[in-house]
Amino acid sequence: MDEQLNHAPCGFLTLSEDGFILEMNQTLLKILNYSHDSLIGQHVNSILTVPARLFSQFYFFPLVKLEQRVEEMYISLEAGNGEEIPVLINALLRKVNERTVLECIIIPMRKRNEFENELLLAKKETEAALKAKHKAITELETTLKKLEIQKQELLELNQQNQKYKIETQKELELARIIQETSLTDPINNDKVQMEVFYNASGELSGDIYGIYQIDQNRYGIILLDVMGHGISSALITMTLHSLFQRLISAGVPVDLVMKELDSHLHKLFDNNEEARHYSTAIYLLIDTERQKIDYANAGHPPALWQDPNGTQYELSSTAPPLGTFEGVVFKTNTFTYKKGGRLLLYTDGVDPLISNYLAPLVRKTVSLPLFQLKQEILQCLNNEKKVDFKSDDETFILVDLK
Amino acid sequence: MDQDIIFRNNVKIKGKGKQSIIFAPGFGCDQTVWKAVAEAFEKDYQVILFDYVGLGRSDIHAYDSKRYSSLLGYAQDVLDVCTALDLRDTVFVGHSVGSMIGMLASLSHPEYFSHLVMIGPSPCYLNDPPNYYGGFEREELLGLIDMMEKNYIGWANVFSQVVTNNPELPEVKLQLEERFCTTDPIIAREFAEAAFFADNRSDLKKVTVPALILQCSNDIIAPLEVGEYIHRQLPNSMLKIMEATGHCPHMSHPEETIRLITQYLNEASVSVEGSPVGRGVPL
Repeated sequence: MDEQLNHAPCGFLTLSEDGFILEMNQTLLKILNYSHDSLIGQHVNSILTVPARLFSQFYFFPLVKLEQRVEEMYISLEAGNGEEIPVLINALLRKVNERTVLECIIIPMRKRNEFENELLLAKKETEAALKAKHKAITELETTLKKLEIQKQELLELNQQNQKYKIETQKELELARIIQETSLTDPINNDKVQMEVFYNASGELSGDIYGIYQIDQNRYGIILLDVMGHGISSALITMTLHSLFQRLISAGVPVDLVMKELDSHLHKLFDNNEEARHYSTAIYLLIDTERQKIDYANAGHPPALWQDPNGTQYELSSTAPPLGTFEGVVFKTNTFTYKKGGRLLLYTDGVDPLISNYLAPLVRKTVSLPLFQLKQEILQCLNNEKKVDFKSDDETFILVDLK
Repeated sequence: MDQDIIFRNNVKIKGKGKQSIIFAPGFGCDQTVWKAVAEAFEKDYQVILFDYVGLGRSDIHAYDSKRYSSLLGYAQDVLDVCTALDLRDTVFVGHSVGSMIGMLASLSHPEYFSHLVMIGPSPCYLNDPPNYYGGFEREELLGLIDMMEKNYIGWANVFSQVVTNNPELPEVKLQLEERFCTTDPIIAREFAEAAFFADNRSDLKKVTVPALILQCSNDIIAPLEVGEYIHRQLPNSMLKIMEATGHCPHMSHPEETIRLITQYLNEASVSVEGSPVGRGVPL
């Protein structure tokens, strides 16, 4: 071999077409740590690592076959001491003296190899990060789709709700009209004069009243407040209404009216403790000929009687509310009056304690006509509402006895 | 004929014969590797060439990492081509992993194939001591995949202008492009993983189609032990040791390859007429 080539600063190798080693320069022998004789005639596989043997079969020899040359191919050699040496190889298939020879130049690239390994590692890490990102995006998209579906479902539910709400509203409105038609009108003649106020906190009220002229001289006035407010309380007021209407119109005595109403509530909830409702009630039977009032109060806020000279009397409760205890005895209280007195009945929605403002107001307005007193009371009610926002059913009845 | 599959797998049909013969490339290769061998069969056969999806001039958009993470995905490509062409009793010639792909295809549709010709097959490249010698340890196969990456295999399309810019050998340009350039680096790696870490040993006994195993001398990829193992496991097989060395006799020694295939097919057809039972010849 030419001296210059033998000691050139690169490895030089010639192979037969099927990969057997023909020649090798000193530089390559030194790189490989082999003696010259031991490698000549061996297959090139004997100086390749296993991956390089595979790779040369898949790529190096097919490329030589196709192109008669290979450029810049990276493979790894295996030195005599087992060391792995990364190299770049250029090869050219050439006819020399009627013989086809594959001439190869080999350059070790240890440092470059390390650098490329780092690059590949960084590339893989980037790819893994990208993959993780794509996965996260896909998951987010899935979640977003689910949310969209849920949102759609909510919208549909909301629409159903809205429809249901409108229907319920219509029903409640109809019920309110029915409840209000059951209320009697105030009576105004030469003996009595009345003003009534009735206001439900919602569509329906737990308050109910009735005013009846029983005969020429007698008038019955009843006011009830079923505990709670809303639909359930209103339903109970309606069952009580049909009963007291019959009893009072027939002129049944005060204590019996209360007893019947009490029994009715007990019967109603005999087998259904959960639905049990109580009701306060006050019933007055006014006889204008004898100028006498019979009354009974079952747990209701005291009614107010003011005689013509301005003295006030409270018609207080003498029994527990209707529907609470079995076997309660209701007693009729009686007092006589002079013409020119004024009566006030109300539910606790108007004033839980008469002393709050009603009694002073009635006293102060003794000379005012009834409808003006009503306006004054409403004024107070509005002011109260501005202070606290509690809302309850409100009813009051004003009566002047002439 | 399903034109979608014809396009997707770049199917080419040539030849004058009635009997069909289909050639399946090995790892990382497209149909151009069959050039020398396939031409010899055009006179007597209908020759069918194709590319797996992701290689050669196939439709790369049809590539699906999940499907092609196993050789079964590639076997489905073979079946799709056979179905599209309505093939029956065709001769299947596969190189290396291509022969295992054909073997897998024959398990689900044996009626498509009359014979399997397996050139340098291996059902499992990994050693499984003490009873199986595949030739390689896992690290060595991973080393091969690393070497592919460092040689920009699959990156060739990115650098194709540089690689093929060779004024001395202009005619090589096209061939080289067909051989290397159409492979995407990710596809190349996924194909390598599917091919080199496959273990189809348990499938061999289920094969019903008769097979010829062409075993090269000094094939480090599929050594003689592996060829003999397949021959023992394949119920109806014949093993021929070739004079050709290396792993690609269809490229390096096309004459011998053609001669052995032709000889086997001729003997097989005689044998079929004489004895309908056994078409194989024991070792």
